[in-house]
Parts: sequence; structure tokens; C-alpha cells
Amino acid sequence: MVEYLARRTARTLVILVLASVAVFYSLRFAPGDPSGVALSPLALEEIRQAYRERLGLNKPIYLQYFTYLGHLAHGNLGQSLINGKPIGELFLYHGRNSLILGLAALALSYVIGIPLGILAAAHRNRPLDHAVMGFGALGMGIPNFWLALLLVYLFSVKLKWLPSAGCCSPKYLIMPAVVLAAEGTAVTMRMMRSSMLEQINQDFVRTHRAYGLPEWKVLLFALRNALIPIVSLTGLRLGWLIGYTLIVETIFNWPGVGYLLVESVLRRDYPVAQFFSLVLVLAVVLSSWLADILYGVVDPRIRYARV
Amino acid sequence: MVQATGPASSAADLALIRIPVHRHPVLRFLTELRRHRMALFGAVVTLTLMLFGFLAPWLATHDYARQNLLEAFQPPLRPDHLLGTDQIGRDIWSRLVYGLRTSLLVGFGVTLIALIAGTVIGTMAGYLGGWADTVLSGAVEIIWGFPLILLAVILTGAMGPGLPAVVIAVGVINSAGFARIIRGEVLALRYREFVQAARAVGATDLALIVRHILPNAMAPTLVMGSYYVALAIIAEAGLSFIGLGAQPPLPSLGTMIADGRNYLLHDHWISTIPGVTIVLLVLGLNLLGDGLRDILDPRLRER
Repeated sequence: MVEYLARRTARTLVILVLASVAVFYSLRFAPGDPSGVALSPLALEEIRQAYRERLGLNKPIYLQYFTYLGHLAHGNLGQSLINGKPIGELFLYHGRNSLILGLAALALSYVIGIPLGILAAAHRNRPLDHAVMGFGALGMGIPNFWLALLLVYLFSVKLKWLPSAGCCSPKYLIMPAVVLAAEGTAVTMRMMRSSMLEQINQDFVRTHRAYGLPEWKVLLFALRNALIPIVSLTGLRLGWLIGYTLIVETIFNWPGVGYLLVESVLRRDYPVAQFFSLVLVLAVVLSSWLADILYGVVDPRIRYARV
Repeated sequence: MVQATGPASSAADLALIRIPVHRHPVLRFLTELRRHRMALFGAVVTLTLMLFGFLAPWLATHDYARQNLLEAFQPPLRPDHLLGTDQIGRDIWSRLVYGLRTSLLVGFGVTLIALIAGTVIGTMAGYLGGWADTVLSGAVEIIWGFPLILLAVILTGAMGPGLPAVVIAVGVINSAGFARIIRGEVLALRYREFVQAARAVGATDLALIVRHILPNAMAPTLVMGSYYVALAIIAEAGLSFIGLGAQPPLPSLGTMIADGRNYLLHDHWISTIPGVTIVLLVLGLNLLGDGLRDILDPRLRER
């Protein structure tokens, strides 16, 4: 286990360094420069030059990278070019909101997806199974922004039950969480169904059944093994979730990290865009690391295999 | 694409040829497709929408960008506006076919390029092995798991809003996806008897790859390809919806849906028409993918 952990962690560190360099470089190639955002369009070229020098933008990019890392290490995160808010403050506020939304969506997708998948497997090829799978196909086929619009139409415009956008009470959380969870629920459900079906045909399950165990206990034994692929999918799912938060948060004006990143990219607020790109990349890499670890914990075959 | 016929058959496959299905592989594929109702439905929907998209310049009845405030908010089925007009009086039918074209160019066009890049990378990794494999498949693993939308947004930060950032993101991530599949197939196939037999009679590496290995790797690649196209189309529309993808006046299904979001109560068709179209397109592609998987690769069939 220790060796497995160490290997995965080393790999993750390498990826982190490469990814942060890639993000840093790509944002340095942005058209126009920060002086265009922060200074008046009428500002003299000398003033622009002085501004760039103050920010260190005239130095080679790799030096800027190390300077930036140094600042990060000292907790000196800079501030927004648009409204001057310190980035650390933005991070705490928006990060908290994103975490709430992401965890709510993740929990929702498992709480709904796993039982429905088991139910479909237990009722294989009967109407209930077809209904659940049809629901799943729909969940995967509907783009989340379109689902968002349909929900807003139904619950905000027609019924006036839920606010269409904003933050930060449970009422505001419901629709974004449902939209963010939709695809994951469908994927979890399908995965759970096929993985349960695979287990149900195994010898050990047949033996349990032959001993006369009640059906729900038999399913419980199958479930333990059937959950392994679900766990292994978590890393990828977290990655998708982080991607989709960008769209869902923007639609519902949910003030999370995704919303902030999209806004800062649209307004060319470079320090904010750069910091939060790094934050989200970090989140993706760490969640895949976490999933690897989880996978090793639930499946001993992985832990001891030489990969 | 087809495993049991053609020059690249193993001994086990040769036994199967005795079954009287000695027709051309494409014909056999079409027969199976006709039997698979869901796949057929997916194929018909996808092909119809593709046709609309590719014939956009001939099907459009108006200039997709021309505004006419006097004719705004016309409901569908008007004599001069088949699907009505949007909030600034642009013809929705003309915008729809051009919007489909945008979706299809990003979805199919870019995925096709990614298929070529992915095939080259995946074949190199799988066939060469050694450190080339370590480096290439290491890079592929990292890129493949990365969320498409996050990459597109970061690239937008670097390049400014517009389709190029979306195109590059889709291209890079789908290439990695294809490379991953192809590498696995090449590894599984390169020591099979029929490949070794071809090598024994003096086939060059290139001939082995092109004539014997890649044709047999096509099935899983095509299946995943249809899902990748759907993912790319959803990503493009989603990014356009929030204002990062296609920039006005170029129509995209995503921007069209966003255009109508403030008029849902009275003039819902502005959003509904492109919304239903994109759901149909994605559903069609997913059904086609499921069907292709059942027909081409029975091993993967869900029970």
C-alpha cells in the first residue's frame, strides 16, 4: 500500500508542476496585456511601461513563474484588476460556495443513482428497468444548460417556487445542484446497473441464493463488489463536475470559483483568471489522486499490482 | 470495423466464415443496423441534422445576421419565417441551420482531426513500446482525464473568447481519448497469430499497422468516436451559452438558446427550437454509439 501511495503521489506532484507551468505560460500569451485593463486607454506608453515593470511583466516568463510561486508561498495572492478585491478573500468566499454546490451535487448523484441502478438490475428487462434506463439516457442526452433553462422556466417563471439565480440559502442551491448532478446521476445509475448484473451472475452470489438467503441479503453481498467500479469512476466524475461547475455556476449566478473564473476571463482580469485557473487545475489533479487512493483502498488487487 | 472477414483473419475467425454471411462487410453492417431499431433511429436523426447543417447555405431563407426589429418575436409557421423570429427579428430557421453547421464543424470536424492525431500517437505508443510508450501514454493519461470545459475556459483566457479556444480544447482532449483506445488495441493485437503470420511472410511494420492492426482497432474507436462527437457538441454549445464560444453574429445552438432565456414566458420558441434540436442531436449520437457498440463489438454489449 505504501509503495502504491508513494508512486501515485509522486506522479501527482509531477503533473501538478507541469500543469501549473502550462497554465502560467498560456495566460502569458494572452492578447493585449493587463495594463490595457487597469489603465485608462489614454494612458501614455511610458506609464504603461512603468506599470508592466512594476508587475514584473517585462522579465522572462520562467522568472515571473518563480516570482509568482514565491508570492503564493508568502500568501501574497495579489488583487483583482477590476474591483481591487484581494484574491485571498475572493478565494475563501467563492471556494466555500463552490464546495457547497459540488458536494451537494455529488451526494445527490450517488443518493439517487446507486439505488436506482440496483433497482434496475434487480428488475432486469422489466418495465421498471426500462423506465430507469430511459431516464438515464435522457439525463445523459440533455445538455446541462438546457436542463437549467427548463427548470428555471418551470420552477421560477411558471410556479414561482424557486429563485432563478443568486445565492446563498438552500432555496438558491436546489436548482444548480440538481442540474450539476443530472449527468453524474445517469452515469452512476448505468454503471451501477451493469456492475450489479455482472456480480449477480457470479458463483458466490448463486451460492448465497442456493443457501436460501432472502433476495435483499443476496443483493447486499453483490453490492460490495459492484461498488468498486463506482469508486474508481469518482476521480473522473470529480473532474467533469469541476468542468461543469463553470457553466452551471455562470447560469445560476452562483458565486463560486467557476463563476469567478468565467467572469475574469471575459473581463480580462488576469491575476484572478490565473489564480483560479491554477486552483481548478489543482482541484482536478488532486481529485484524481484521491480517487486513485480510494480505488486502492477498496480493491486490494489494485493495491498490490505492479502498475 | 469488421472482424471475421478480410485478409486479417485469425484461425478462429476463419472457422466463422463457414457461416453463410459471405457478403460485403458494409452490407452486413447495414443489415444489422436495420435490425437494431434504436441505432437506426439514432443514425437517421444524426444524418438528417447533419444534412441540414451541411446544406445550410442553400436551406437558409434569410441572412442569419440580419436584424429587423419590426419583425421581432414572430411565432413559428409564418409565411416568410418558417420557425419565426428572435428578439431582434432574425430568422430562426436560417440561424438554426447555420447553428447546426457550427455544432457539426466543432463536433465532427475537430473529432475527425483528433482521430488522425490520436491514431498516430496511439499506434506509436502501442507499437514502439519502451520509453516512447512511457512518455506518450503518460501524457495521454494526464490530458485525457482533464475536463474539456475547464481547458476551453483557460484557453479562452489566453486567446480571447471565440471558437478557436473551443476547437483546440476539443481537439487536444479527443486526440488523447483516441490515442488511449488505439494504444490498447494495438497492444492487444500486435502479438495475435494473424499479425505474426503477416510478419513471418515479410510484411513491413507499416503494412502490419495499416493493413492488419488498425482495421481491427476500428470498432471500439468508432463507438467512442460517436460519444466524443456528442461531448464536443455539448461543450461547444455550453460555452457559447455562457458567452465564451461562438461570438456574434455567428449563430451557434448554444448562443441561440441563451438569446431567448429572458423571453421564456411569452416567446419560448426562441430558446425551445434550438434546445430541442441539440437534445435530438445529442440523443441521436448517443443512440448511434450504443448501437454501434452492440453491432460492431458484441463483447461490450450491456446485458
